[in-house]
Amino acid sequence: MTNPYEVLGVSPSATDEEIKKAYRELAKKYHPDKYADSPLKDVAEQKMKEINEAYDQINDMRRNGNTQSSSYRNAAQSKYYAVRVYIQRNMVDEAEQLLGRTPVEERDAEWNFLMGMCYFRRGWNDKAKEYFTTAHNMDPGNAEFKTALDNMNRRAGYGYGGYAQSTGGGSSDCSFADVCSMILCADCLCSCCRVCR
Amino acid sequence: MFGYLRIDKAELKVREYEAYKAVYCGLCKQLGRDYSVFSRAVLSYDCTFYAVLLMSLNRGCKGFRDGRCVCNPLKKCKFAECSDQSYSKAAALSIISVYYKLHDDLLDSGFFRRLPIYFILPLFSRSHKKAARLYPELETLVAEMMRMQRDAESGSETSIDEAAHPTALMLSKILCAEGADEPQKAVLSELGYQLGRWVYLMDAADDYYKDRRNGCFNPFLKYEKEEAVNRMEDALSVSLGRAFDAYSLLELTDFKGITENLLRFGLPLQQSRVVSKLTEVTDDKSL
Repeated sequence: MTNPYEVLGVSPSATDEEIKKAYRELAKKYHPDKYADSPLKDVAEQKMKEINEAYDQINDMRRNGNTQSSSYRNAAQSKYYAVRVYIQRNMVDEAEQLLGRTPVEERDAEWNFLMGMCYFRRGWNDKAKEYFTTAHNMDPGNAEFKTALDNMNRRAGYGYGGYAQSTGGGSSDCSFADVCSMILCADCLCSCCRVCR
Repeated sequence: MFGYLRIDKAELKVREYEAYKAVYCGLCKQLGRDYSVFSRAVLSYDCTFYAVLLMSLNRGCKGFRDGRCVCNPLKKCKFAECSDQSYSKAAALSIISVYYKLHDDLLDSGFFRRLPIYFILPLFSRSHKKAARLYPELETLVAEMMRMQRDAESGSETSIDEAAHPTALMLSKILCAEGADEPQKAVLSELGYQLGRWVYLMDAADDYYKDRRNGCFNPFLKYEKEEAVNRMEDALSVSLGRAFDAYSLLELTDFKGITENLLRFGLPLQQSRVVSKLTEVTDDKSL
C-alpha cells in the first residue's frame, strides 16, 4: 500500500488545510471532465481514484470517521450501447464499423456524436469537431453533446502561456450564458471530488 | 521534423536553461562521435527535446561536465552526461529524419535545388546506414511515415486530419515505445500523436504562401486566407491542448521545468509567431 501522504505530495505533518489544498490542486489536474472524451480517460480516472483514496485514508486516520466509496454514474443505455462499449474500451475500428451499418436516413444526433468520439479517439480533431457540431445542432438540448463540443472549444482557446493572440476571429469571448451553464454543469457533474461533500 | 519544438527562453529559470543547453551540446557531441563531423549539422531543437524527454523518462542524466565547444574551441560549455541510450537514440533519429527529408526534397524540387542535395546525400548515406542498423525501429517508423505522407498528399481530397496523420502516428509510435507500463504508453502515444500533428500543421501553416506559389500540396490551400487562418489556429490549439492534457498525466521529475516550459510557453509562442506572420502579410510575394 502506498503512503497516502506521498500520493498527495504532502508531509505527514501537514495541516488539514494544506492537505485539502494539495488534494484540490491534484483533483483539478486529473479531473475526469477534462479527460471526458479523451483516450486517456482511464489513466486520469485511475489517478483520480488514487488521490481520492489517499485523501479519504488521511481523513480517516485523522478523524477516525467513516468513509463513503465514490459512486460512478454509468452511461445511459441507448440503442448504440455496443458502440459506446467499444469506444470505452478504445476499440475505435469496431465502433466505427458498427456505426457504418446504420442507414443514412437513420443517422441521428447521437450517431453523429459517436462518430465524433471515434475520430476524437483517433486524434482527428478536425473531423471530430465537425461531427460534434452536427450532433449539437440536431439536438441542442443534449448536455452530453454540448459538453463534447464545449471541450473542443475550450482546447481551441489553449493559451496557458498568455501568448495566445486573438487574430480577429473573436472566438475566445465568453458570454454570461456560458459562465452560467458552465457553473451549472460543473455543479451537476461534481460528484467525484471530496471537497464539496 | 522542423524545429518547432522549442522552449521559451524568457520563461525558463537560468539553471534550467543551462541544463537545456547542456543537453543540446551533449547531443551535438554524440552526433560527432557516432557519425561524422558533417553530421553535427543536423542537430535540431526537435531532437534535443526528444533527448530531454528520454532522459527525463529514464532518469538517465548523471550530472554535468565542463568542456569546450567543438565548433568553436574558444567557447566554454557544459555537457549533460547520460548513462543510457537517450543521446544515441536522439542522434540516430536526427540522422534518419534528415536523410529522408533530403530524399523527399530530391523528388520535389527543381534542378538547381537538387544539385546541392546530390553533393550532400552521399555524405549522409553512410551515417544513415549506421543509424538504421543501430535503431531499426526508428528507421522503419520514419520510412513508413514518408511513404504514408506521399500517399496522403497524392490524394485529391485530403483533409487536414488525413494530411497530419502520418507525422502524428510516427511521433506517437516513437514516444509510445518509451513507456514503462500500459498507462504510461497510452499517455505517451497521445502526447506523441498530438505533438506530431501540431508539428505537421505548423509546417503547413508556415509554408502556406510558399506552397500556394509553387503549387505544392498543403492541406490549408483549399480554404481562402481568412478561413484558412481560422482553421489553422483552431486545429493547432486543439492539438496543443490535448498534448498538454496528456503531458499533465506524466509524472516527471528530471527536467520537468524544461518540458513544461516547452508545452506551456514554447509551443504557444511558436504558434503565435507563425500565425501572426500569416495574418500580417497581405502581399504573398514578400514571404
